[in-house]
Amino acid sequence: MKTMITLTVNGLKHELAVEPNRTLLDVLRYDLELTGTKKGCDMGECGSCTVILNGKPVNSCLVLAVQAKGSEITTIEGLKTADGLHPLQQAFVDKGAIQCGFCSPGMILSASSLLQRNPSPTEEEIRTALSGNLCRCTGYQKIIEAVRSVAERDEG
Amino acid sequence: MLLPKFDYHEPSSVDEAARLMGEIGGEASVLAGGTDLLVNMKMGKTVPKHVVSLSRIIELKEATREQGSLTIGACVTVADLRELEEVRAEYKGLFEGAGSLGSPLIRNLATVGGNLVTARPAADLPPSLIAYGATIGLKKETGERTLLLEEFFRGPGETMIEPGEILCTVVLREPPPYSGGGYVKLGVRRALEISLVNVAAFLALDGPSGPVREARVVLGAVAPKPIRALSAEHVLIGERPDEALFEKAGEAAANDAKPIDDFRASAEYRREMVKVLTRRALRQAYEEAKLREWRRWK
Repeated sequence: MKTMITLTVNGLKHELAVEPNRTLLDVLRYDLELTGTKKGCDMGECGSCTVILNGKPVNSCLVLAVQAKGSEITTIEGLKTADGLHPLQQAFVDKGAIQCGFCSPGMILSASSLLQRNPSPTEEEIRTALSGNLCRCTGYQKIIEAVRSVAERDEG
Repeated sequence: MLLPKFDYHEPSSVDEAARLMGEIGGEASVLAGGTDLLVNMKMGKTVPKHVVSLSRIIELKEATREQGSLTIGACVTVADLRELEEVRAEYKGLFEGAGSLGSPLIRNLATVGGNLVTARPAADLPPSLIAYGATIGLKKETGERTLLLEEFFRGPGETMIEPGEILCTVVLREPPPYSGGGYVKLGVRRALEISLVNVAAFLALDGPSGPVREARVVLGAVAPKPIRALSAEHVLIGERPDEALFEKAGEAAANDAKPIDDFRASAEYRREMVKVLTRRALRQAYEEAKLREWRRWK
């Protein structure tokens, strides 16, 4: 039986009728057509489905949409500002921290959540914060460098 | 992957949840963080007719300190557990254990209660909680009971929980003076990793240099459930803590372990690692114990 839920996604309120067995990931992708959130393993291992749920990055494949009722969610589509790309997005482009791009939304959301809590993290803290997001092509070095470049900018 | 169909329930209090579980408990799965349940449902290992979510029950998400004990609600997330001031300052072994569970993304969802009821032999929270002597509070429609966490586990995925029962709280007593804890996990990577071996230790001393009054050494992933290394504890009690003693305790712990060979590691390797990890966990516990004088919680 479908249940009515309200989700605030990237600042916009949505009323949706969803079956209880649908994940937040599927509702974001298929009902709201926000396909920036990727579906990788669908088992909570890869982090490509990362979204910010009530201020915390989580695997959206492990959350039922009905559990998220009333929540505030930020997806990769919600990061850009009026001036253009979010500084982290721009840094990923500038540092070449991207190849196929499948892990990028999750990486960037995990990193943005870290920088919000801790504007000048150490390399170790960056690595820990991204440890739930797997990349299978670029490798991690450029991704870490991109995050560091934004962190350092904040410091100065 | 599609989740099987189920009826979804969202009680708003423990009493309501217990009543509901009394009616449909036999056909229901309890949903807390979902990091295990949803995976098992996607793989078809669990196909419940009903899912009872605890996520709207505020009282299960709270941690309270009173009369020399810390009560942690079963739905406190592993990330929030690490943010508790008491856990950071007084239960370093638990702080470590919570930090090595899953990944930051998993820790934001996974709950303390969930890591216990799933009863995985390599789980990250049980060893230190048992080492600190934790008790748990269980509730069902017809009443509630308290159990030592150590007595809760029966084997892989098996606990003493009864049909219709809900794990509600984990209770830790105030740490005694000159006591400390440690936790060491061995895996091949540092995130999203199932322990090859994990060891927690707790020591309480008579004074800054001993002798050892209380000792608990708990081994994970080397038996069907987390186990106390009783002969290692026996070696420690009454003795002055030093490297030589920890070495002896490590050897005793290796004998207490009952590891198996599997694709992650051989039994022989695991037994050898129990020796090393026990020594390290004891060292951590002792470093903390030396410095913790008597200071009552306000």
